[in-house]
Amino acid sequence: MIWGVEEQEPTTVEEAQEMLRAAFAAKQRVAFAGGGTRLGLGPAPKGVQAVLRSSKLSKILEYAASDQVVVAEAGVTLAQLQAELGKNGQRLAIDPAQPERQTLGGIIASNAFGPLRTRHGSVRDLIIGVSILRADGVRAKGGGKVVKTVAGFDLPKLMCGSLGTLGFIATCTFRVHPVPEATQTLVSQGLSALEVNAAAAAMRAQQLEHGALIATRTAPGRFDLAVRFEGFGKGVEQQVKKARGIAGLVIVDDQAWREHAALLSAGPTRLKISALPTQLSKVDSALPQGRLGWYPLLGLGFVAGDIGVDAIAAARAALAGGSLVVEEAPSALDAWGAAPAGLALHQAVKNRFDPQGLLAPGRFIGGI
Amino acid sequence: MQTAAQDALGSRATAKVEPTPRALIEELTAIVGAANCIHEPSELLTYESDGLATFRQRPGVVVLPGSTDEVSRVVKAAAKHGLPMVPRGAGTGLSGGALPVPGCVLVGLSRMKQILEVDLPNGYLRVQPGVINLDVSKLLSPKGYYYAPDPSSQSVCTIGGNVAENSGGAHCLKYGFTVNHVLGLRVVLHDGTIVDLGGPTLDAPGYDLVGVVVGSEGLLGIVTEVFLKALRKPEATRTFFATFPTTREAGDAVSAIIASGIVPAAIEMMDTLAIIAAKAATGLDWPEVGAALLMDVDGPLDEVEHTAKHAGDLARKAGCIELRLPKDEAERQLMWKGRKSAFAAVGRISRNYIVQDGTIPRSEIGRVLGEIATLSAAAGIRVANVFHAGDGNLHPLVLFDARVPGEEKKAEELGGEILRICLRAGGSITGEHGVGAEKAMYMAEMFTDDDLDTMSRLRCAFDPLQRFNPGKVFPTPRLCGDRPGLYKAHPAELSGQAERT
Repeated sequence: MIWGVEEQEPTTVEEAQEMLRAAFAAKQRVAFAGGGTRLGLGPAPKGVQAVLRSSKLSKILEYAASDQVVVAEAGVTLAQLQAELGKNGQRLAIDPAQPERQTLGGIIASNAFGPLRTRHGSVRDLIIGVSILRADGVRAKGGGKVVKTVAGFDLPKLMCGSLGTLGFIATCTFRVHPVPEATQTLVSQGLSALEVNAAAAAMRAQQLEHGALIATRTAPGRFDLAVRFEGFGKGVEQQVKKARGIAGLVIVDDQAWREHAALLSAGPTRLKISALPTQLSKVDSALPQGRLGWYPLLGLGFVAGDIGVDAIAAARAALAGGSLVVEEAPSALDAWGAAPAGLALHQAVKNRFDPQGLLAPGRFIGGI
Repeated sequence: MQTAAQDALGSRATAKVEPTPRALIEELTAIVGAANCIHEPSELLTYESDGLATFRQRPGVVVLPGSTDEVSRVVKAAAKHGLPMVPRGAGTGLSGGALPVPGCVLVGLSRMKQILEVDLPNGYLRVQPGVINLDVSKLLSPKGYYYAPDPSSQSVCTIGGNVAENSGGAHCLKYGFTVNHVLGLRVVLHDGTIVDLGGPTLDAPGYDLVGVVVGSEGLLGIVTEVFLKALRKPEATRTFFATFPTTREAGDAVSAIIASGIVPAAIEMMDTLAIIAAKAATGLDWPEVGAALLMDVDGPLDEVEHTAKHAGDLARKAGCIELRLPKDEAERQLMWKGRKSAFAAVGRISRNYIVQDGTIPRSEIGRVLGEIATLSAAAGIRVANVFHAGDGNLHPLVLFDARVPGEEKKAEELGGEILRICLRAGGSITGEHGVGAEKAMYMAEMFTDDDLDTMSRLRCAFDPLQRFNPGKVFPTPRLCGDRPGLYKAHPAELSGQAERT
């Protein structure tokens, strides 16, 4: 049961299309699910009568290793895809938590990401093609199967973060990258927010190419900074040597990244914060409770813990200019905050794709 | 002669055009000043075409606004008179994206060329759309930063044009395209509304409308401010120029380098004709071989020393004749100048030429080049190939002499056939030049009617009366179901609570 409805699990895209057509004909409100790891994102959709789940759309359709392009159905899990790509020394350069449960469609729809975003960007930067089923069951594609195409409007990017409000992601195509030959993690403990900024600036000044960089709060105003270098052995070796001169960074094993992943489920509430990269100190004081993981080069972070509605409202006021999204919460909280500038345009997009408002109603910003 | 673009623009290209209403010219003059409202026929000549110079159409009037507010007022004035609008940057686009439509108000953004904000600790800058691409990197260079997308026209093309076309360039293999480097946009919509999308902080709640507007070829609105990512320069760059007997060995070298796990910053291929042209234009002493590769790897010093050496070894193994390493930065720049001037350089070996732009899976390079050569021989039309080999983005230059009756038509047909070869190979009709007016007719070969209908829903959400750049991108007119004519969107309509039928 998802959102109070028994889910339907089509085994082919055509079956999914049939289900959507039937729901459309009956004017049923439909919501979509993948691995079910991100159902708490956004308010629960209202009055859902049917749930379409992608879990059995689990085929990798095309994989041309020499072209570094893979096409897969939306229900393929990230772990399943990485296992297949790994046979050819390749990977999809995205690493959200719970890869064995997160599906590709879910990652796209919820814009899920992990530490690798520092280097490779988010799913929008790696997706090159998509095929979707609209509310009326019509199948449409955008993008292509080549790394570089600018023909037509960018439907793949439109689907990123759209939370199932525009259509059902049926298949997706990604650019993949080589698995690095070597990786090495370094950590420095007990830094202040300003020291974290200074360390990030120093790494940039030294022209280091970090695979990932994250600061984890250990006490109010105190952070452990972890950096991972990836690439060919010689390059990693040189970068590690340079990095050891910065902010007391020392070589450690990969435990730091497991701790980061664990932080995300420190619940019951999890917030996603967006601010300017240098505003860690502001984020730290705006949200003193809970665990905080911060990406110093992106200006993104997560806070997890027992955080009340008043604390969230206060943090939103303090962090004006950025955003605070409630990703998980034990009770209904204002997930998105104040409507963004240009809400009318977002609504117009929704209305053109789903004029009857049948797809995941109410789950997105501004009641979309 | 009836051309592909004119076909795509349909009857409008030949329709009798009403003169621009005197009242509108007066309104526009009041907004932008007399010097920036161009309506004398002789002065309109400059704006009749963009980089796709074989297609021409006189605009009704040209306005050169100086601010977002002026753009907004211009759009309102044009909308009030029910006239189409065509945005234009530097006019270097190669697909006719800035080709005027009959009677249009052409909105030139060239006066809006201020850099408004630079914030390197937070990794961004905010610029107006008329800023020249290369000027961004020039500004950042003394501080050790740069702007990554580098189309060959970067010394003249504008950021606004780059946003419209989602421009790439040689180095997008490692660094991505314009869309990967734009954080936010200020956009003037069809009714003059000004809206901010994205910004310097990531993941603003809502749809990724920045990702949608970038590459929308001027059909969704007029961009008046752009947040760009500023990147730290890499520590080191290593470059080689490698020659091969034929494009096949060069293609094998590219495949081997990529398969080894190296992600070059750029890897470019030229065939004999392109090499000859580049030599003629720059005086480089390149040998006239079957194919040449120009490769950059960049990053941490030890890494690039390793990857450059390894890539060189792989090139030799694939049959490289000669591997040249530039002795200094000046020589490296000269090699790149040879590559980047290739399009224009072809003018030295052919009176006229068409620049094509299609993408194929990288592994198909050898086979597709063979097919192109066969077609070229059969048609008696020469084709020079210069392209971004790392991402399979071909730029066949179809050479012809317009003085020879029928040759231009043959060249266009050959260009079209090349696109069909790209599609059959699983590729795209455009990798970076855009669909514009030139390729609208091929969209229906790459996309189904349902695909195009879905894309047009996005357009209708932004511009229900299709006032921006009509006739471009979409092969056949698709109405949004909104009433044409004098129109002012009701607020309830904009917020999606109501819709005109």
